[in-house]
Amino acid sequence: MSGTMKEFSNGLVKNNPIFIQALGMCPTLATTTSASNGLGMGMATLTVLLMSNIVISIIRKLVPAKIRIPVYIIIIAGFVTMVDLLMHGFLYDLWKTLGLFIPLIVVNCLILGRAESYASQNGIWKSILDALGMGLGFAGGLVILGAVREILGAGTVFGVELWGDAFNVFIMILPPGAFITLGLLAGLFNWIGISKEEAKKKKQKAAKKAGGKA
Amino acid sequence: MKNYLKMGLTLMLFAIAVAVLLSVVYTITKGPIEDAELNVKLQSIKTVLSNPEDEELMIDENQIPESEGELKERVWKSTEEAFLYESSEYKGYVSSPAYKFSLKDGKPAYVVTGAAVGYGGYVTVMCSFVGELSNLEMMRIQVLDYSQETPGLGAKIAEKEAKERFFEIPKKALEDGLQVDKDAGVAAAKTDEQVEQYKEEGVIYISDIMTGATITPRGVANAVNTMFDYLKKELGGE
Repeated sequence: MSGTMKEFSNGLVKNNPIFIQALGMCPTLATTTSASNGLGMGMATLTVLLMSNIVISIIRKLVPAKIRIPVYIIIIAGFVTMVDLLMHGFLYDLWKTLGLFIPLIVVNCLILGRAESYASQNGIWKSILDALGMGLGFAGGLVILGAVREILGAGTVFGVELWGDAFNVFIMILPPGAFITLGLLAGLFNWIGISKEEAKKKKQKAAKKAGGKA
Repeated sequence: MKNYLKMGLTLMLFAIAVAVLLSVVYTITKGPIEDAELNVKLQSIKTVLSNPEDEELMIDENQIPESEGELKERVWKSTEEAFLYESSEYKGYVSSPAYKFSLKDGKPAYVVTGAAVGYGGYVTVMCSFVGELSNLEMMRIQVLDYSQETPGLGAKIAEKEAKERFFEIPKKALEDGLQVDKDAGVAAAKTDEQVEQYKEEGVIYISDIMTGATITPRGVANAVNTMFDYLKKELGGE
């Protein structure tokens, strides 16, 4: 069971698609002007990723290696269009805010990347866990990014007002704010990863020393 | 050769399967999508025909269209072409159709949809104009499409406080063309009375609500100007 947990947690922090792997930068930078926009985009991406991982995992033995990429693209594009149509009909307001960025999920390299490097080589159950982990990691990253930009830029989070207009830094909502926040957060995530690794090494060293003495 | 054929056939099979699935989803969502679009339109018409102060309907309850058919009966002007009117001065257009209602007090009300260039593309606005040409007033606006505007900045145009700054505008002010306060270069308004005073002069005071975003309200003002020009042309000709 520990093996399956690993599939799931891998995408959350350790290999976070946004901050560690730097995948899917286009929607990351463009849609995170507020926390709720980030959440909406994250959920739409998660849905597409989950469905495409399942289907690609099922058909992985039927597809000749040479044409696998076009087949994956057809499947992913199909799912994105379905999500677009369903949201247009049933979640009109969210569809309106995300607008242009839903079709762009097709070219999100996170989805094709997971299809190619994971779902095409693993079973359905593992692929579902991988999609959930990666998808939630992506959505979580978008929400954090959106929340930071919304708090600093508009003084609100999920639309709830925190302080008056006077403290707001408008640049955080504009495109440069996306790059600045992304850079700082990526730095933070990598710093946590590196310091964890070092702590582990130190422990091992200490254990070795203790073992050697004994 | 056999290999290529097999690959081609596999690819084709997947393409067909996805196409079939897509057509199923399209058929299922066609109705709801049309309903959603129509609902937004009907809701906006209802809003622009309500009194801005107490939200009370200005026209008779049963005159409010509730279906596609009822909406069609209200069409005042429509065209087969893309736009009813285009303005090169304001870089805006009026889209088809325009609707006509009559208010409880007998005055005619024209509900017009128009758009002008904002920050990232066209900002679409629905407006209600009330009265005869001689005393035409702009009663209320509803911002329909602002999807290209920056969220948190330009997109604030859809908030109630921002929209309220655009109405009601008397004819004299419309005649000169609306301007936002940054373009008009007026002093900051300190009181609500002053904001109303600016409206009389055709100046939309909005820089306190939409700090850092002048282009989007300018687009809305230009859309209103375009619609007014169109109405002036249509009503003047009658």
